[in-house]
Amino acid sequence: MPARTPVGPIALWRSQSGRAAASADRCPHRGMRLSHGFVRGEALSCIYHGWSYARAGNCLRIPAHPGLAPPETIRVPTHEVEECDGVIWVAVGEATAQPPRLQGVVPLRSLTAHAAVAAIEAAAGAKAGVDGFAWQPQSKLQIRLLLVPQGAEETLIHVLLDDDSSLSQRIAASRAVETLRRTAEDLETKATAP
Amino acid sequence: MTHDAMIDEWYPVGLFSQLDTNARKTALMGRPIEVAVEAEGHARVTSGDGRSLPVCVRYGHVWSSLGKPQKDLFAIPEADQPGRTLVDVGVIRVRCSPLRAVENFLDIAHFPFVHTDILGAEPHTEVQDYKVEVRQDADEVWATQVKFYQPQAAKSASGGITTEYMYRVPAPTCCVLYKTCPPRPGEWDVITLFVQPLAEDLCDVWPWMALFDDATPMTDLIHFQQTIFLQDRSILENQIPRLLPLDPGMEIPTRADLTSVAYRRWLKRHNYTYGAQLVAQ
Ligand code: FES
Ligand SMILES: [Fe+2]
Repeated sequence: MPARTPVGPIALWRSQSGRAAASADRCPHRGMRLSHGFVRGEALSCIYHGWSYARAGNCLRIPAHPGLAPPETIRVPTHEVEECDGVIWVAVGEATAQPPRLQGVVPLRSLTAHAAVAAIEAAAGAKAGVDGFAWQPQSKLQIRLLLVPQGAEETLIHVLLDDDSSLSQRIAASRAVETLRRTAEDLETKATAP
Repeated sequence: MTHDAMIDEWYPVGLFSQLDTNARKTALMGRPIEVAVEAEGHARVTSGDGRSLPVCVRYGHVWSSLGKPQKDLFAIPEADQPGRTLVDVGVIRVRCSPLRAVENFLDIAHFPFVHTDILGAEPHTEVQDYKVEVRQDADEVWATQVKFYQPQAAKSASGGITTEYMYRVPAPTCCVLYKTCPPRPGEWDVITLFVQPLAEDLCDVWPWMALFDDATPMTDLIHFQQTIFLQDRSILENQIPRLLPLDPGMEIPTRADLTSVAYRRWLKRHNYTYGAQLVAQ
C-alpha cells in the first residue's frame, strides 16, 4: 500500500512470512509506483514489468531476462520498519532509537484530516510527542493519538484505545475523533483565510 | 516559451467520422483549438486566436499542427491495401506525457503483467533479442524481429501463439505496430497509436487499426483494443516522473528496452522535447 512520509511517498508491504517492509514508491526500472505492485514470497514485484525486490531493496529478478542475475547496482531505496504494539513505524533516515512502546492500547482506526498537525494539537489542547498524545474528550474515554504530517496541509491521525474498551467506548472514541477532525479543519480554514 | 522542434509536426485532433459543423473544442500543446468538418466535407482547425491551422485527413483522423509542417504526414502503405478492415478505436485520455504513452506502446516486456492472459502470461516473460535501428532515409526508429508468446494475440486468435512484431516510430508521438496476422500468414496486421499532446503531461490517445479480420464484429474489435489501452492507462498515470526522462541515469534499461533507448536518443537528437524531462531530478 502507498504511504506518505516526510521524505516522500513509500510503498509499504508485508511479505508472506509476515514481515513489514518499506521502500521508495518508485521502481528504478521505469518509474512505476511500487505500491501498485504485488507480493510473492519475501519479495515485492513491480506491476509494470515484474521486477522483484527483496526487503533490503536489491533486485532479485528481471522476468524479461530470466537467465540473468540482476546486478547489485539495481536497487530501490528502503526504510527501516519496526512493528510493535499493532503499529508499524517507518524510520526516515537512520533510526536512532526504537519506536516508543504503546502498552495497553490497541489501534482503533486511522483517518486523514485536511489540517496541519498544529491545528489538531490546538483543537485537542495538547502537544504531541514521539508517542503522540493522550486525549480525554470525556470522562472514561482515554484515547491516544499519533499524528503523521502528510505534506503541509494534511495529517494522518492514528487512533488507539485502551485494550479493554467496550464496543460503546470504541464507537464514542471514533465519533470524538471525527469531531476533533472537524474542529481542527475549521481552525485551519480560519487560519489560512485571507 | 522555448522553441521545440515538435511544434512543426502533425498531430491527430479528432476522428473524421465523428466530426461535423459543430466545432470540437480541444487543445494542442497547451493551446486551445477547435476542429470541425464543414458541410462540403472539408476539415477545418482553428486556434484560440482565430488563426487557421494546417489540416490533413488521413487514417480516419483529422491532423493539424501549431507550426509549419515541413513534410506530408508519414505514409502507411498498408492502409490502402484492399481487404483490410479499418478500425477507428476512439479516444482515451491519459494523464501522462505523450512521449511516455508512445514508449509504453513500444514495450513488450509488460504484456504478462499488465495485459495478463491476453497479450502475455507468466511464465512466458522472456524477451528475446531483437533488432533496433534508426532508418536514415526516412529518419524513423524501427524495431524488428520482436517475438513474444501470447495467450490471445488478437481478437481473431484462438489459443496461444508466438507472435512476431515490428515497431516503427515515424513521428515523435506516433507509432505503427506490425503484427503477425493469424488468418493471413505472410501479411501483417497494422495497429497504430496516434497521440495528441494536450499538454506536456496530458494526452489524448487515438489508436487506429488496419486488420485482416472480416469475422469479428467491429464493436468487438474496438472493445478489445480499448480494454488493452485502459490497462496501459493504469500504468501510465502512475509513473514517476510524469514526463519522460531523456537523461540516462534516472531509469535503468536492459536489453529488452532497446527500442525505448533508441526512441529516447532519437527524441533528444531532434530536440523533440515536449513532454520530456531533460535534467535528472
Ligand atoms: S517499471 Fe518496474 S519493472 Fe519496469
Ligand atoms: Fe500495453
